Amino acid sequence: MFSRIICAALPGLALALMPLQAEAHCFVGARFLPATLTVDDPCVADEMSLPTVLFSSANPSGRENDVAGDFSKRITENFGITVASTWTFVRPPANADTLGTSASGFMNLTTAFQYQVFKDAPHEFAWLMGVVVEWGSTGAAGVGASPWSVITPTMNIGKGFGDLPDDFGVIRAFAVTAQAGYQIPTTSFDLVQGAAVPQNMVYGGSLQFSMPYLKSNIIDLGLPDFINHLIPIVEAQFSTPVANNEGNPFITTGTINPGVIWVGDYFQVGIEAIIPINRASGTNVGAIAQLHLYLDDMFPTTIGRPLLGSAPAPTKPFGD
Amino acid sequence: MPRKLIAVVAAVVLGSAAAHAHAFLDHASPRVGSAVRAAPREVTLWFSQKLEPSFSSAQVRDSAGARVDQGARADGMVLHVPVKSLPPGTYKVHWRVLSVDTHATEGNFSFRVGE
Repeated sequence: MFSRIICAALPGLALALMPLQAEAHCFVGARFLPATLTVDDPCVADEMSLPTVLFSSANPSGRENDVAGDFSKRITENFGITVASTWTFVRPPANADTLGTSASGFMNLTTAFQYQVFKDAPHEFAWLMGVVVEWGSTGAAGVGASPWSVITPTMNIGKGFGDLPDDFGVIRAFAVTAQAGYQIPTTSFDLVQGAAVPQNMVYGGSLQFSMPYLKSNIIDLGLPDFINHLIPIVEAQFSTPVANNEGNPFITTGTINPGVIWVGDYFQVGIEAIIPINRASGTNVGAIAQLHLYLDDMFPTTIGRPLLGSAPAPTKPFGD
Repeated sequence: MPRKLIAVVAAVVLGSAAAHAHAFLDHASPRVGSAVRAAPREVTLWFSQKLEPSFSSAQVRDSAGARVDQGARADGMVLHVPVKSLPPGTYKVHWRVLSVDTHATEGNFSFRVGE
């Protein structure tokens, strides 16, 4: 009797002991898309950026220095939430006709709700949809935090070129990501400034060349280990007012950010220059640097896994 | 405040030292993208983490897509893939592995036998 119970329980026991397969930060097939500094990557993940430090002239009120942090948590395998906060220090330009002095404080709290719509491993393609909410009146008005909220439906995609034929050589190490969103403020008119609050298209992307991908999937050139962990990258972000912009100029602002990301097993470090695309976008070249932690690798059995549901059981490779 | 922040980050990073991460391909023999004169008897893949043997494997195929491997065997951080006698040509290695902390990774690369 006892042996029959054991025999009946064995398949369930085997299933319980079987390791679950974790899909974590942005892996799509053979491609790893790093967390980018300016635009978001196209995956939900358990990760944390702490800190992101920015020196920029992109704030029209003067030179801006930021220290930011964000925490991303998967609720289910495909649904995640990100909470981000930025402490900012704004210094008016030296020739500004202002009597005000430097100001500092937190910007509005931001939360992103994101869903992993699709991942196509053979074609190294990922698609993410989300809604980003900037919560009004949660920051300091003195540094420009608005009293209204801004809701931004957003789409992110990523595509690696590793599925090209071998003849394309090192081109297969390139990947692109793109992001597009539509900012909808919860008010249409700023009573203090006496101006319309525009709705903006915010968009951008990145072009990245993965040395880890080159070494593991195309050609191992025997380069130093440090070089093999680098991903040179150019990011770009733009904002264009498209509606409710009466009285304001319809000028696209944005920056182009060349830089490099070093990718390790548990964290990555990135640094980029911030180059304004026009005078309305800033007057000097800035810089951004970030330490980004892969919580799913650091704590795979606790905070590095989804809160709800279980990861899919692993399948035998190639159906062996 | 900055000291507290640094302390928190250091604790998080150092506190994870015992964790395992994704298994990346560290190097391979024959080397990724290389050309070798003599046909290898085995393709060997070295990874950055220990592998789950039951869920880690690789296949080697010739330019016509026919399999030329004789199965694969994971041993610690190494995946051994014995192959049949390989005539001159281009071969593609496809690997999929599961690291011991359950993270799955995959990749592929080519090598050439003969001039």
